[in-house]
Amino acid sequence: MKEKTPLLQRDGARSVLASLISIVIGLAAGSLVVLLVGLFNSGMGLKAAWEGIRLIFLGLFSTGRNATGGLSFGFNPVTFGNMLFRATPLIMTGLSVAVAYKTGLFNIGAPGQYLAGTAATLFIALEIPSSAVPTWIIWILAFLGGMAAGALWGAIPGLLKAMLNINEVLACIMTNWISANLVTWVFDVSNLKNTVENTKTAYIYKTTFNGVETPKMFLDKIFPGSQVNGGILIAAVLAVAMYILFSKTTLGYELKACGANRHAAKYAGIKDKRSIVLSMAIAGAMSGAGAALYYLAGNTEFFWSTYQSLPATGFNGIPVALLAVCNPIAVIFTGMFMSMLDIAGQQLTALTAYNEYITDVIIAVIVYLSAFSLVIKLWLGGRAKKKAGPKPDANAEDPAPVPDAAAGKEGEE
Amino acid sequence: MEQNPEYVIEMLHITKEFPGIKANDDITLQLRKGEIHALLGENGAGKSTLMSVLFGLYQPEQGEIRKNGQPVKIDSPNDATALHIGMVHQHFKLVDVFTVLDNIILGAEDTRMGFLQKKDARKKVQALSEQYGLHVDLDAKVEDITVGMQQRTEILKMLYRDNEILIFDEPTAVLTPQEIEELMQIMKNLAAEGKSILFISHKLNEIMEVSDRVTVLRKGKYVGTVDTASTTKEELSRMMVGRPVQLVVDKSPAQPKEPVLTVQGLCVPSRIHKHDAVKDVSFTVHAGEIVCIAGIDGNGQTEFVQALTGLERASAGHIELCGHDITHQSIRARSQAGMSHIPEDRHKHGLVLDFTLEQNMVLQRYYEPRFQNHGFIRFDAVRSYAEDLIRRYDVRSGQGPVTIARSMSGGNQQKAIVAREIDRDLPLIVAVQPTRGLDVGAIEYIHGQLVAQRDAGKAVLLVSLELDEVMNLSDRILVMYEGEIVGELDPKKTTVEELGLYMAGAKRQGKERASA
Amino acid sequence: MAFLVRSTLIYAVPLMIVALAGVFAERSGIINLALEGIMIFGAFIGVLFVRLVQQWGWFDAAKQAGDWVSLQGFMLLAMVTAAALGAVFSLLLAFAAINLKADQTIGGTALNLMAPALVLFLIRVIANQNTLQMATGDAASWFMIKKTMFGFDKKAQLGFFASAFLDKVYLSTYICILLFIVLSIILYKTRFGLRLRSCGENPQASDSLGINVVKMRYAGVTISGALAGMGGFVYALTTTNCSSNGDVAGFGFLALAVMIFGNWKPLNIAGAALLFGLFKCIAASYTSLDINGDGVFMLANIGLNSNFYRLLPYLVTLLVLAFTSKSSRAPKAEGIPYDKGQR
Repeated sequence: MKEKTPLLQRDGARSVLASLISIVIGLAAGSLVVLLVGLFNSGMGLKAAWEGIRLIFLGLFSTGRNATGGLSFGFNPVTFGNMLFRATPLIMTGLSVAVAYKTGLFNIGAPGQYLAGTAATLFIALEIPSSAVPTWIIWILAFLGGMAAGALWGAIPGLLKAMLNINEVLACIMTNWISANLVTWVFDVSNLKNTVENTKTAYIYKTTFNGVETPKMFLDKIFPGSQVNGGILIAAVLAVAMYILFSKTTLGYELKACGANRHAAKYAGIKDKRSIVLSMAIAGAMSGAGAALYYLAGNTEFFWSTYQSLPATGFNGIPVALLAVCNPIAVIFTGMFMSMLDIAGQQLTALTAYNEYITDVIIAVIVYLSAFSLVIKLWLGGRAKKKAGPKPDANAEDPAPVPDAAAGKEGEE
Repeated sequence: MEQNPEYVIEMLHITKEFPGIKANDDITLQLRKGEIHALLGENGAGKSTLMSVLFGLYQPEQGEIRKNGQPVKIDSPNDATALHIGMVHQHFKLVDVFTVLDNIILGAEDTRMGFLQKKDARKKVQALSEQYGLHVDLDAKVEDITVGMQQRTEILKMLYRDNEILIFDEPTAVLTPQEIEELMQIMKNLAAEGKSILFISHKLNEIMEVSDRVTVLRKGKYVGTVDTASTTKEELSRMMVGRPVQLVVDKSPAQPKEPVLTVQGLCVPSRIHKHDAVKDVSFTVHAGEIVCIAGIDGNGQTEFVQALTGLERASAGHIELCGHDITHQSIRARSQAGMSHIPEDRHKHGLVLDFTLEQNMVLQRYYEPRFQNHGFIRFDAVRSYAEDLIRRYDVRSGQGPVTIARSMSGGNQQKAIVAREIDRDLPLIVAVQPTRGLDVGAIEYIHGQLVAQRDAGKAVLLVSLELDEVMNLSDRILVMYEGEIVGELDPKKTTVEELGLYMAGAKRQGKERASA
Repeated sequence: MAFLVRSTLIYAVPLMIVALAGVFAERSGIINLALEGIMIFGAFIGVLFVRLVQQWGWFDAAKQAGDWVSLQGFMLLAMVTAAALGAVFSLLLAFAAINLKADQTIGGTALNLMAPALVLFLIRVIANQNTLQMATGDAASWFMIKKTMFGFDKKAQLGFFASAFLDKVYLSTYICILLFIVLSIILYKTRFGLRLRSCGENPQASDSLGINVVKMRYAGVTISGALAGMGGFVYALTTTNCSSNGDVAGFGFLALAVMIFGNWKPLNIAGAALLFGLFKCIAASYTSLDINGDGVFMLANIGLNSNFYRLLPYLVTLLVLAFTSKSSRAPKAEGIPYDKGQR
């Protein structure tokens, strides 16, 4: 865990291929579960299983059932727009995990940071009176507030890691649950609980209650009837910004050096502790921004009594980042893929006897495969190498630090 | 089996390949019963691979191993143990948190109903330790005992398993001269009792002293086997390297000028125990001289260097560099004040192994205006600078500037660090064990560079554990023992033996010694 | 007071046994971050087993007759089943970490995501709701040991000891404690234990002495999985009335913290688990906690927000980690895939 291999541009192709393999195996595993459950469940049978499998792969294009009761498929602007909308927070939490991972930290604290961002955003968006302040200023304040709260929440495990060398994974888990309880607490004692629509319990007002919402930026013209708004564009811009920060700047160089080898970074005069805290703060800011973009949409509402559960959006940042091999630009696309799975899960619940949790199974399989994506990549590389002949730089004096050679050896035994 | 064959172990025509490299190419080694047989070769000559084959860690592609004339197959360390072959590895294979006794019995435990029975084992180990003069504390934890005692534990591990063939892989690298002396005696005792010993080393003095015969390897190939009595050091080194080697560094007398580094009363707390690891150290290094801090590993050198370079905090004392007090400065400030640092551990501190070579080449200076513009890295400048360094310092790698540092050989990794640090052109170079684990060619090169820097008017502070390096390279020697400077010696006027006595703490100069 | 001891034990025992699960994995050199997931899976399997057996009616007669000894046997079977399937589930981690040399943190996280997803998916299919419960009755009526079983009268006033340890308790608690002791002895006093521990400290040394590191690490992870699976079921049985909903509220992670706090040593872990159990117990039942038996609910009367008590265990964990991290000492080789080629 200490020294992560950074993602090399030159083997980008191999990374993409490895990710595609993970996706295919993940979907196949999900299909297998659907098939088995269908076969062993008297109420379902093979036909139902086949419907389920088709929805897993093509859920995004599902248009419901036709007159004869069969599944129908086609382009549906509503689902498409919703897919983009749901992709927005996933891209952000994906970025959160990805930038931390690039600096050698496993940010499993995205759920807590997301909740912190949610709370800050909603408080600012709903408490500043729109009668006194223009709504666009409130929007910006709420967005920045969400980012700041996420950054703060991310910085805590960062500080613990930097100062006391506490494993960031454990610290993140604990701060997640603390966040869940704190957020429940502050909303519990707030006056933001939705009491107008009495059909609902334990929800917070939508931000439109105060007239604050993310501009649509013409996306509603392309995908009429959907939830989509300009948030997806903001997410994309932030992804590009992260790419530039980590690939082009001296700050990115410092953070990556610190992640790849904290001792060497320190030796070179880089402030290692500051770098770790900063990395986690940036990661937290991304999660917080994700929450802000989701809840500022105006058409979403927050279930505040959340002390028993953590937002899945946070955890799903992990597969989004891993599938993208932590490349911020690729995160945009893997975020959309995860959102597609989400839609497929909804269609499964709506149209078949299966339920949306199967998509979580698929996601888990994908994460599992990502754990040894390096092995898959080496395997792919080994196949390429066998055709190209032996490596040029093989006159190593001490063979120990040559992972390629070691792994190649394994393969041949 | 009844006949009395001349050789107890024979390795015939062994070939072992790794992807892209023939580590052993048709090597033959024959060990007589009761002899001490040295295996000589540079790093990377294939000694360790050959021993790993004998020990069952690797399987050779070709060749045959015989014991007492009978062909045997060794597929795992278990097979080797069954054939009574044992090995003391260069890096000890000990479990730090276990006691010495637990380490000795591990893998060969007596049990009753699955529960450990240590009583008989303890008796047997005690008997062995008396028989061969191997003194250890059986109930001490390995992490608490000295390196010498750890080595004796390793030897007892072999004897406990009734091994007849004992392999010693570079056993003297970590020992004091006195401990080395002791080990040589132990090895002779063992051979006298009928054990057959394979002694792997690249240190000619020791080989000449203790061995009966020598087999020499070079670049994975067999060079020859000679009787120690009928050969010389020069002959052996020629066989090992393939050309005549200068055993002495060629350099003119030093011409020290103004002081560059002054250390006054430096104390550094220890991370392990409550006392100071470095106690009241004072000295000066002048421009145009190489000052060497000699000592046995673990006598405070590491802590001293960390305090000097800013990696650790000093608890007392002052450090002055080129007239500036840098005692409380950050690492970067020290670097900017004129200190470059070739670190002890190139993998831990020297390089970011997963970065490319060019990224590593600017590790100390990526923030200089030359390499960045408003926080954005100037990739073209980095590339051309790296290419320039690679060319001038002859750093070899698979793909030039974009090679991942991890995939480079140890020698070239070290060359890259030396290039980076020397090219910063700063008044002080702190070089800590700059040639550790390198082959003769790379060592010659790095020594040459350091001497050239000295002649160009730089101050060089060398920290080394290698006696030869200390004697050959330095203009003045400071000996560190238990965190103190116990003596200042002139390499031209002292002997290795005298140096050894200082290093072992058996001798020390009074406090009134002229502090230069 | 007896109530406090009893309910502290109820939380402490699963923590203890799952922390020991962590010890077996980490002492063999594998970081088992998946404890949480395996617990979730084990809880589901155990509850499912109980439910199915109830549906098949195997123990109906025993229940009717009030034969509580057979019912304890039934519970034992469920524990064993949960342990067995927990071990099988953990093989996923073992395979990734040992054979494929995968990143153990990500591998463990994958299992943590997998378990709730799979469990919730199956619960929905099986029960068409989000919680899987017993087919009939509840945990108390089927499995709880009550004073009447020892021949005491329902109204009898028991001494402190008997009311804390013999009334309204589950046999699983004592089985776990016994298992904890036995396994701790195995870890320190047997050949297997010695070899297992060596693999977590210096696998190169173990290998050079002919110990099969791969086998030992598989053993470590499998034992770990079995204990965590069983711990998951015990948790579900004793704290959630033998139901499963794809969640153990971060208990697996708390167990990891207990393990670190206990410095990977069983005795310290037992102590740490009791401390954490106490906080968990306070969080769960502070409103009804009558510490000195005078009918005054002290903690509830302080008037702190209930959320404060709920976040207390996590906050305490974090603080404890902060204060003990400097002195804690993890097995040296944990988290590092063993590669024969590296010497």
